[in-house]
Amino acid sequence: MFLIRTLHKWFGLVLGLQLLIWALSGAVMALVDHQKVAGEHAVLPVAQLTYGPSPAPLAVVQAPLGAPLVKLELKPLFDRWAYQVTTADGAVRLLDADTGRPFAVDAALARTLATARYAGAAPVESVKLVEGSTYETRKMARPVWRVAYADGEHTALFVSRATGEVLGAKTDASRLWDIAWMFHIMDYTARESFNHPLIVTVACGVAWLALSGLILLFGSFRRADVAWLIAPFERRAARRVQDPR
Amino acid sequence: MRLPALARTTHKWLALIIAIQAVFWTVSGLYMAAIHIDIIHGDRLVRPAPAPPLAIAGLLEPAHLAHLAPGLRSAQLETQVGRPVYVVDAEGGKALFDARTGEKLSPLGEAAARARAQALFAETGRVVSAELLTTSRPTEIQSRPLPLWRVEFEGAWRPTFYISPLTGELVARRHDLWRAYDFLWMFHIMDYEARSDVNNPLIRVATWMAFAASLTGAWLLLYSFRRRRRPKAA
Repeated sequence: MFLIRTLHKWFGLVLGLQLLIWALSGAVMALVDHQKVAGEHAVLPVAQLTYGPSPAPLAVVQAPLGAPLVKLELKPLFDRWAYQVTTADGAVRLLDADTGRPFAVDAALARTLATARYAGAAPVESVKLVEGSTYETRKMARPVWRVAYADGEHTALFVSRATGEVLGAKTDASRLWDIAWMFHIMDYTARESFNHPLIVTVACGVAWLALSGLILLFGSFRRADVAWLIAPFERRAARRVQDPR
Repeated sequence: MRLPALARTTHKWLALIIAIQAVFWTVSGLYMAAIHIDIIHGDRLVRPAPAPPLAIAGLLEPAHLAHLAPGLRSAQLETQVGRPVYVVDAEGGKALFDARTGEKLSPLGEAAARARAQALFAETGRVVSAELLTTSRPTEIQSRPLPLWRVEFEGAWRPTFYISPLTGELVARRHDLWRAYDFLWMFHIMDYEARSDVNNPLIRVATWMAFAASLTGAWLLLYSFRRRRRPKAA
């Protein structure tokens, strides 16, 4: 027990701070509503068009493309039917499904597409193109349009420039969660990987800290510690011995 | 009560309540950190297949889809196991059509499901079993809509593919390392039923108790190290 106590003490001294950070960041992540973190409440489902498509023939679709077609999607995009075309070179682009004419998702269209899916009523504050990886866009296919709304949660919707799809929403809850996540996974730069040598090493040490603490509990409680709990029972037992009826 | 004794008592009592969960948290966390998430996701089980170019001559035109699937919501032309197909979402649900003949391929039968699974599987093991799930699903695919073909392979960690009979798509892949991860995840987030609610009241209380327990531990450290006096030379 003495050895375990010493080890517990020293592991606590060296690694205890990380345990504290894990508990605190875990508590924050448990406290923040995950639906708000995921931005689900801020995005409406895709609205169906009231009319069916009259899509252009495949030859018309293929003609203007420089590379062979590998995948073709026909989908509603706000107020029209669109073809989403993937070519063998990996490029993805959008065509008007009726005419076969290509169109780009520019700032104005991104704003329209985002607002059609935005569940709130606040006005658009800004529309910006994000090409690099940011904390908000690191998991999204870029470039994306970031459409920010002037609401209390600082909601931003992200619209893919290639496909016009709303890839997700971020709110203040997402940003707070993300900071807790960074401390929790100990990836202080990219906030992405929880499979690195630092966290594995520290987790081994902290697992021992927890286990040694559990073992120490067995030697840590004296009769005096639980006196308040057992005293009433002992008194009753004593009375019964003195006065057996 | 003197401060060191107070620190010791609070640390002890908090630990009595939270210690077992702390062991669960650290051990499950260690497993998640030690095994790379790409392995857990089963990326290596799926044969990488670049999408081949579509020979559009002679394919069914998208304009015909409205007749095949009334109330069309969306459609997708792609290649599945060497054959051009349309994956269609319409009023009557999802469906799969041969893009050359317009023949309806869905729902896929057992032979087709086995063939697809084998074609997608990156390892050498053969299919051990194929089962169509229509009413009840195992915990490992709790969020996916049914029906699904469950195709299990021989090989390390019991690799299993879930293939949609309606779209032919590989919906999920599972193996024992994933199953262990999911089991430990349950302990990590303390949601013992659905294994998905990270905001349940139990974990909200437990995390703050763990925080308090480690904080009192840090407090206790202040009294736990004594400077050792060297015996004076005589």
